[in-house]
Amino acid sequence: MSFFEIQNLSKQYAGRPVFRDLDLSIASGEFITLLGPSGCGKSTLLRCMAGLSRPDQGALFMAGEEITHLPPQKRGIGMVFQSYALFPNMTVQQNIAFGLRMQGLSLSKQHLAVKEIIELVELTGKELAMPDELSGGQKQRVALARALVVRPRLLLLDEPLSALDARIRRHLREQIRAIQQRLGLTTVFVTHDQEEALTLSDRIVLMHEGKIVQAGSAESLYTRPASRFAAQFIGQYNLLTAAEAQTLLGRTIAGQLAIRPESITLLPITDSQLTGRVLDHQLLGNVIRYRIDCRGIILKVDALNRDAATLLPAGHDIGLSVAEPELCEVA
Amino acid sequence: MAADTSAHPTSAPLRGRRWRAIHYHQLVVASLMALLLLPIAATLVYSLSSRWGATILPDGFSLGWYLQLWSEPRFLAAFARSLLVCAGTLVLAIVIVVPAAFVVFYYYPKLDRWMNLLILLPFAMPPVVSSVGLLSLYADGTLPIIGTPWVLLGCYFTIILPFLYRALANRLQSLDLHSLMEAAQLLGASAPRAFLCVVLPALRKSLFASLFLSFSFLMGEFVFANLLVGTRFETLQIYLYNMRSTSGHYTSAVVMSYFLITLILTWIATRFNR
Repeated sequence: MSFFEIQNLSKQYAGRPVFRDLDLSIASGEFITLLGPSGCGKSTLLRCMAGLSRPDQGALFMAGEEITHLPPQKRGIGMVFQSYALFPNMTVQQNIAFGLRMQGLSLSKQHLAVKEIIELVELTGKELAMPDELSGGQKQRVALARALVVRPRLLLLDEPLSALDARIRRHLREQIRAIQQRLGLTTVFVTHDQEEALTLSDRIVLMHEGKIVQAGSAESLYTRPASRFAAQFIGQYNLLTAAEAQTLLGRTIAGQLAIRPESITLLPITDSQLTGRVLDHQLLGNVIRYRIDCRGIILKVDALNRDAATLLPAGHDIGLSVAEPELCEVA
Repeated sequence: MAADTSAHPTSAPLRGRRWRAIHYHQLVVASLMALLLLPIAATLVYSLSSRWGATILPDGFSLGWYLQLWSEPRFLAAFARSLLVCAGTLVLAIVIVVPAAFVVFYYYPKLDRWMNLLILLPFAMPPVVSSVGLLSLYADGTLPIIGTPWVLLGCYFTIILPFLYRALANRLQSLDLHSLMEAAQLLGASAPRAFLCVVLPALRKSLFASLFLSFSFLMGEFVFANLLVGTRFETLQIYLYNMRSTSGHYTSAVVMSYFLITLILTWIATRFNR
């Protein structure tokens, strides 16, 4: 039984469709991520769910009740914006208490709820600070607390981490997931960052040009991309045409062959049937990404970064082995 | 000494240049301050002197002119009228311009271009010319308000419109207005309540700053007051003008009283706004 249901939803701006005939069900307590490049319609979809944009066609249901035409203040949906949208003239405490004030809660109840949520988002001591005295991460935690304190039925997060630096982003990401699980809150997270989507979500909905191209668990999206776009967007797949697949592996396929860089293993040249020449490498932290020319095809190959001595110089000849079960045919 | 100079050949001239630069800067500031303060100081001394005719220094000092002024019912009435017209104009401006600026920026941002043109009009027209237009429009006909405070209220509103609108527009541009309104609405506020609880408090500082400026400007306004209402609704500036043939000590006391009260009111409002 789904908690939130999107049925046949369409929206266009100035005659151009943003998305068309979208259907999506979200289960209660699920953490779902709308992933896709800029302009794919994911943020507009989120705004339609919140009631901030009106869909041209289709219906939205929450807990069995139609909310398509309900104004945002009556939906009981919390939202965190990329730009934080903190009220500039209010302290942290007042910002967080705003929703409770609108509900007409007594001051003592407001105070209790705010205190509790401030502890949850680890902002104790910052109650009286003004938004411009806070760092980006702190601002986003205030925005999160402000959305959570009213106990929304659904929480929407619109690229909440994209304005933050990498370390804070990682920390806040973990914090968001922990809070979501603790409160059992149904959450929709919008991002264009595949790493964020993979680490946070119960389910990822991949969008492209206003359509849902694939939906599933992080694991299934990463290992079984359904299309060329998914293979390029989610992983750093090597995409081989039918002719290239034939040249490299002797396989006859109809569409294209997607090979993840970590599905190719580097071996001593004597142990392998495939050989290639290192063109260059890129250091990605714990992984080194080589570009290897193999039978005239340039392949991306990931190897663990163990120590500088094992680093293969450009021009070095090396053997390759491709893990056949991990190959993926895409349309 | 000679050895020192050879070791740092540029240090002495450099020091000299810096010294001259600092003193030049101080000289400019001091001259400017003197230029601005001297007339006020002279007016103050003149208003406090009992008689100051053929001598370099006054014959004596007294508060006589002030006592006479502040017990003069005509002055007090003129002062009250000025305050009333100014305050009335500011209230009218707040009620009309604040929602208008919000509507422009939130709902019709393209209108800002036209608003900028509109607010230039009061500046483009010299007061003498526009007052002739106002006189011919409102002297008789359906709305004969010449000579009443209402025409002054309307006219002053157009004068302060640019100050108020520009200040509010700058602040509204710097706010992420749509996100703020949306965040407030998602937290349960209706659009009017979101405006009152979130946007209006955020505009407070720029609103007050432009109101102080407008207030000081309107308290000293003479041309429109003289041409549109004259003695039929004697404001402070008209009173001052009508008293020009009486003692200079007395008019100096009027000017100083007006100046000090404007200063005090602005100071109180600034403190209140912190």
